[in-house]
Amino acid sequence: MAVVSSHQLAQCISCHAWNADLSMVAVCPNNNEVHIYKALSFTDSIWDRVHVLRKHDQLVSSIDWAPESNYIVTASHDRNSYVWNLEQDEWQPTLVILRLNRAAISVKWSPKENKFAVASGAKSICVCYYEQDNNWWVSKIIRKKHNSTVTNISWHPNNVLLATTSTDCKCRVFSAYIKGVDARTDAETAFGEVKFGEQLMQLDLAMGWAFGVKWSPSGKTLTYVGHDSTIHFIGDVGPSPIAQTLALRDLPLRDVLFLSERRIVAAGFDCNPILFEADNQGTWNLIRFLDEGKLPPAETKTGTQFLEAFGKFHGQAKHGNNIEIVESSNISNTHHENCITSLRPPSKLGDDAHKILPSKEPPCSKVSSSSKFQLQRMIAPLLSRGDKEVHYFSTSGLDGKIIIWDVSNISEFVSRLRL
Amino acid sequence: MADEGDAGAFDFDEFVEAEPSEEILTRIEQKSHLVEQLIRQSKFTEALKLALEDAPTRTRDERCKSANWIVVHRVLMATRDLESLLSTLEPEYDDILMKYLYRGLATGDRPTCDQCLRLHEKLTERAGMGCIIRILADRWNLV
Repeated sequence: MAVVSSHQLAQCISCHAWNADLSMVAVCPNNNEVHIYKALSFTDSIWDRVHVLRKHDQLVSSIDWAPESNYIVTASHDRNSYVWNLEQDEWQPTLVILRLNRAAISVKWSPKENKFAVASGAKSICVCYYEQDNNWWVSKIIRKKHNSTVTNISWHPNNVLLATTSTDCKCRVFSAYIKGVDARTDAETAFGEVKFGEQLMQLDLAMGWAFGVKWSPSGKTLTYVGHDSTIHFIGDVGPSPIAQTLALRDLPLRDVLFLSERRIVAAGFDCNPILFEADNQGTWNLIRFLDEGKLPPAETKTGTQFLEAFGKFHGQAKHGNNIEIVESSNISNTHHENCITSLRPPSKLGDDAHKILPSKEPPCSKVSSSSKFQLQRMIAPLLSRGDKEVHYFSTSGLDGKIIIWDVSNISEFVSRLRL
Repeated sequence: MADEGDAGAFDFDEFVEAEPSEEILTRIEQKSHLVEQLIRQSKFTEALKLALEDAPTRTRDERCKSANWIVVHRVLMATRDLESLLSTLEPEYDDILMKYLYRGLATGDRPTCDQCLRLHEKLTERAGMGCIIRILADRWNLV
């Protein structure tokens, strides 16, 4: 639970995305360009800018980098998207005409990478797929239901369901099943057989703009955050979902990320990622702020006294014997100095993961940490077998920094809390 | 982010009053008598809780909202010891109380504002910025 490294890449970063082996990161420095940096492992390394993608006319609002195909898709306020393909060390753009009359806000590749979805200010979402015959990306628009700007989207692992959040304060689930692109069997979901563009669920839990929606790795849980400083968890997504809302003590969140089926990291205007965890009954609790530069933790109103007390205790102990952390922290006392707008899972962490991790931690430590994790699992079986845990994630924000966080020892920490 | 013309447009369609205003007003009337009793017995926290409970936030009828505000206002102004008032009030009342504090500040009446501002400081200390953000963001449940 520490900051591995922090990189000041621009004045302000609107979005960022990693490639499959985490050797490169694509960043939009809050203008119409996308800069690709070669990411190095040392903590204080200076990352080299290797490519600049110039094609958009206005602010690039979102980037997504497909791990398998290595395509980059960008969305911009100029109402268009480009799919970028690396050919002989040059990124070649292909224009995708979205047919929108307002800005594109967010873009995500589907898990199978045969489709991508774009959220827009035109109260609609586009689902785009590649048409082999015409050598062309086609955009199909879901115009129904949204009453305001769609701020974020997330693909269900089944490649068909699409969750959206919007500034009409609602979270919705749509079907993005496309005949001819998806296999017929894919149309069968938790909601029964679905057709393209159908709204399957509408959640009305937030009282402010909704942001940052994500499906859990299994697709059973959905989470999103509201600008009224709430976070919402929806379990058993399907005909009879269970919803839980946590009201936070502090400023609103902007984005969320599943570390595993039962752990979530969320970040936003407090400039400090927060860890949430579901207990054995499936009730979500705020565990703690992750940035150790700041005094922990402000409690949720529904959080238990017990965890709160332990969180405080741990924080004090940490500060007592780890003075460097306190000294190196900046004035605002967090590593991020402005709102965190984007959380990214370097989740496809393959064997190359060590590339961005500090060199003092050799790759072999991965083995030991995973075996430690196995042990912990026996004490506190928080995950079902076969679950993949995210050990590292990155955040970018309005302060122009990309920060990489290490949460590989989180299981250990949480079980210590519980004992 | 929303279009100028659209902002709030979705707010008002499909709105149906859940129950007639007269019923709400009668209920508030009954409530106010109980609240008076509690104030006389110096049970300010109980009085405040009762005043805040079942506040007519969903209705659009200003008469109901004003009627309930008068009850809440009565308790707020009668209370001297704000520390103990807050320390005995359960956190689930924080958001709704904060809404009424802002309503009080909006009146511009000097003693009301003074009292609300004092309470606002103490409530913010306890409930944090999240509480303020929530009541500013919420455009459906207004007091």
